[in-house]
Amino acid sequence: MSYKRELIRNFCIIAHIDHGKSTLADRLMERTETVSSRDMADQLLDSMDIERERGITIKSTAVRMFYKHTDGNTYMLNLIDTPGHVDFTYEVSRALAACDGAVLIVDATQGIEAQTLANVYLAVDNGLEILPVINKIDLPSADPDNAVREIEDIIGLPAEDAPRVSAKTGLNVEQVLERIVSDFPPPKGDEKAPLRALIFDSFYDNYKGALSYVRIMDGSVRQGDRIRFMHTGSEFDVTEVGVFSPSLKPVSELTAGEVGYISASIKSVAETKVGDTITLAENPAKEPLHGYKQASPMVFCGIYPADGAEYENLRDALEKLILNDASISYEPETSQALGYGFRCGFLGLLHMEIAQERLEREFDLDLVTTAPSVIYRVILTDGSTVMIDNPANLPSPTEIDRMEEPMCLSHIMTPPEYVGTIMELCQEKRGIFQDMVYLEQSRVKLTYQIPLNEIIFDFFDSLKSRSRGYASFDYEISDYVASDLVKLDFLLNGDMCDALSTIVHRDKAYQKGRAVAEKLQEVIPRQQFEIPIQAAIGGKIIARETVRALRKDVLAKCYGGDITRKKKLLEKQKEGKKRMRQIGSVELPSEAFMSVLRIN
Amino acid sequence: MPGLYIHIPYCKRKCAYCDFVSFANRTDHIPYTAALITEMRLYSPLVNSKRFDTVFIGGGTPSLLPVGLVSRILAEARACFDIAENAEITMECNPESVTEEKLIEYRTAGVDRISLGMQSADDAVLDAIGRLHDTKTFVAAFALAKSAGFTNINVDIMHGLPLENESAYLESVRLAASLGAKHISSYSLILEENTPLYAAVSSGSITLPDDDATADMQDAGIALLESLGYRRYEISNFAKEGFECRHNLNYWNNGEYLGVGAAAHSALRINGKWVRFSNKTSVDEYLAFLGENKLPLEETKEIEREDEMFECIMMGLRKTDGVSRAEFEARFGIDPVEQFAAAVSAAALDGTMEVTEERMKLTRRGLDFQNEVLLDFM
Repeated sequence: MSYKRELIRNFCIIAHIDHGKSTLADRLMERTETVSSRDMADQLLDSMDIERERGITIKSTAVRMFYKHTDGNTYMLNLIDTPGHVDFTYEVSRALAACDGAVLIVDATQGIEAQTLANVYLAVDNGLEILPVINKIDLPSADPDNAVREIEDIIGLPAEDAPRVSAKTGLNVEQVLERIVSDFPPPKGDEKAPLRALIFDSFYDNYKGALSYVRIMDGSVRQGDRIRFMHTGSEFDVTEVGVFSPSLKPVSELTAGEVGYISASIKSVAETKVGDTITLAENPAKEPLHGYKQASPMVFCGIYPADGAEYENLRDALEKLILNDASISYEPETSQALGYGFRCGFLGLLHMEIAQERLEREFDLDLVTTAPSVIYRVILTDGSTVMIDNPANLPSPTEIDRMEEPMCLSHIMTPPEYVGTIMELCQEKRGIFQDMVYLEQSRVKLTYQIPLNEIIFDFFDSLKSRSRGYASFDYEISDYVASDLVKLDFLLNGDMCDALSTIVHRDKAYQKGRAVAEKLQEVIPRQQFEIPIQAAIGGKIIARETVRALRKDVLAKCYGGDITRKKKLLEKQKEGKKRMRQIGSVELPSEAFMSVLRIN
Repeated sequence: MPGLYIHIPYCKRKCAYCDFVSFANRTDHIPYTAALITEMRLYSPLVNSKRFDTVFIGGGTPSLLPVGLVSRILAEARACFDIAENAEITMECNPESVTEEKLIEYRTAGVDRISLGMQSADDAVLDAIGRLHDTKTFVAAFALAKSAGFTNINVDIMHGLPLENESAYLESVRLAASLGAKHISSYSLILEENTPLYAAVSSGSITLPDDDATADMQDAGIALLESLGYRRYEISNFAKEGFECRHNLNYWNNGEYLGVGAAAHSALRINGKWVRFSNKTSVDEYLAFLGENKLPLEETKEIEREDEMFECIMMGLRKTDGVSRAEFEARFGIDPVEQFAAAVSAAALDGTMEVTEERMKLTRRGLDFQNEVLLDFM
């Protein structure tokens, strides 16, 4: 028996980091008795350790709640929890497409941030109804009237009657539930039409395989159906359909309007692409749903095991990680300096950091990663074009006619007092000014075109520190533009270390070359001979540092016949040696690669 | 031939750089001596087939023991163990705690070698590292030892100490030589964690000479010592012809030794097996075990043949003469050059090792980078 479509509401919550999205979700589940308060772990939806620690959502999840409204009906509320970071904009857009309404949380102490705004626009583009909710009104610094004004001025939504709540204390949360029912439309869709299910995320379950998280747009699906993924073309037999309560709960059927999961013994989430449409093999839909895009990695880096012997383990770990995150790309690569490893692609910097952290934490690996790189477009003198994601693969300068780099349209929102310093920062990062708008007296929106390769280093951190945390930031990749780029190499005792090579703008090369050489001088341990460190563009040396020669070892005295100390010292040295990389005659500790990563 | 080491874990005050097992706040010398005697008696049957060639009474500050105790210890050692007629018997002394009476006691008890801790001939340096003596006291102590009849006298000197420069260090060497030291141990300061000096250096209140300055001191010291007729026979040890320390040479030959006293280490061949063991470091525990006639063992470990081989290399390559290939082969049935073929050829190629028909030994540069060379032998 399918649930009456008029009694279903599918919605998501849009909020800036720390504005209380997960707390409000927890409160809604508590009020609808979806989970007993006894079982409430804080921030129930963020199930990954990293998500909880960082207070951000990386993967979408969903939960089904039942709410008894004052009109006497019991409504089915499906909350789809979406990621909230620029790296995952496409995933967010698909999750939004599965909803009919969005709860917009605005922190009464902070107002609207760039990230929030970007996601609100995305929601409006997807035709969602927006319900503003003013949160954190229990805090002494709360200014709900100002938040209302901001919503009306900046977004242009009436917000006078927006629920004013404290997700933390539970104050007025009831109003949010009532308004979800009254303000959001029930899902559209035709139960009789051929099945069309939108995949808004996927998840790898160790027992069930890759699960597709879906919103059924038309038709219905049940166990035993043969389904087809319209973009990939592959077909599977459905072994189970179910809902999120919030743990997986099998049901007999999912019909138009409902949100749930489909399990079909699929081996990898690479088969269940976000945005793809599932239909029935026997009675297929004519057209897939709009909006499908192949998510493509934007940021690349080399990932190597700190101990070369761990290569196979790294491969296994990557394979397992990919099971659950098909947006990561990887392929084997070798580096003279680092040996065997992988070139991995990520949606963005945060995505990269999270993946690295998961590899190290969940698979207990010790990794060396090279500096992140974007994809450069290189037009060769013979007229052909190559895309380069690894500086080491850049053709020689004589073969290059010109190079292009990806640009980002970047939106920064900040209180006016930081505009000066932020403009300086954007200038330093080779930003091209586009626009500046006073959204209201206390808020300015700056728009810049900034090269992605400047953003992937420390742009966000610098922005935060220069604005004392007040500025927020969002970007979208715009286009490739010609740029005067050079490959900056580093030579140790005359030998080039490929893993340290990086592509930079010519104007930045000198400064960066010096900074990295200085850092290397600090981190390279002294050896028996003097080690010149040189930064070079082409054949030209632009900076030089020297690690002085080590004159003598520290020799433990074997006093009174105690040789254990000496042995321990040697064992420690031997262990340390395993983590050393040989560049020509120079031994370089793995840490050296990491320490130069953040230098821009 | 085996050596006997006797540990005396007492000091009047701990030096700022010292992390050896020694205690400045204890005066239970007499019960400790009794425990040493009990321990030697317990070992007596185990080692009755072995003849001891050397005895070394070390610490701590053995010369701190009240008059009479060293004689008792040595008399008991002779009663328990077969100590060779011409054994080298060394007594470690600090300048401020030796007296004429004690030195005559040592001499009478059979001690034939005195090791005096000078460390530096610069009073400001001595003060900075918390030594209790000054240079005048050291010179007087040396004279006392000589007049008590000792000719085989070692002087311990360190370099790389706070406030020390090259000329101060060389002055220390010259003083020791001019007094007539037959043996000079010249160690570079090792900054050990958990010492007051380490804390002072970490906090920045004391600055040590940098690595290069210390290396310069060592190189200049080697040159000076050689010019004064001392042969460098081990990385940090120098002796006039015939005055090499036999007790220490035994360690460097990876020979057998029995250590008694708190925290003492031993290495013995027992039923064909190479066994290392060590004693409790806590004096209270040490006393308690022996109070019940039990060996105060902390750890006992049988060393695998491969590890024993490596030990022979690790210790043997400290000597400037290196490892005797024949002796190694006699012990293990294989030529070390063959056993460690890859490491030996790498080191030879690198110029850190020299191999002759008889021996494999480190070159001058190899001695500077002994750790580095050894890693390939592990």
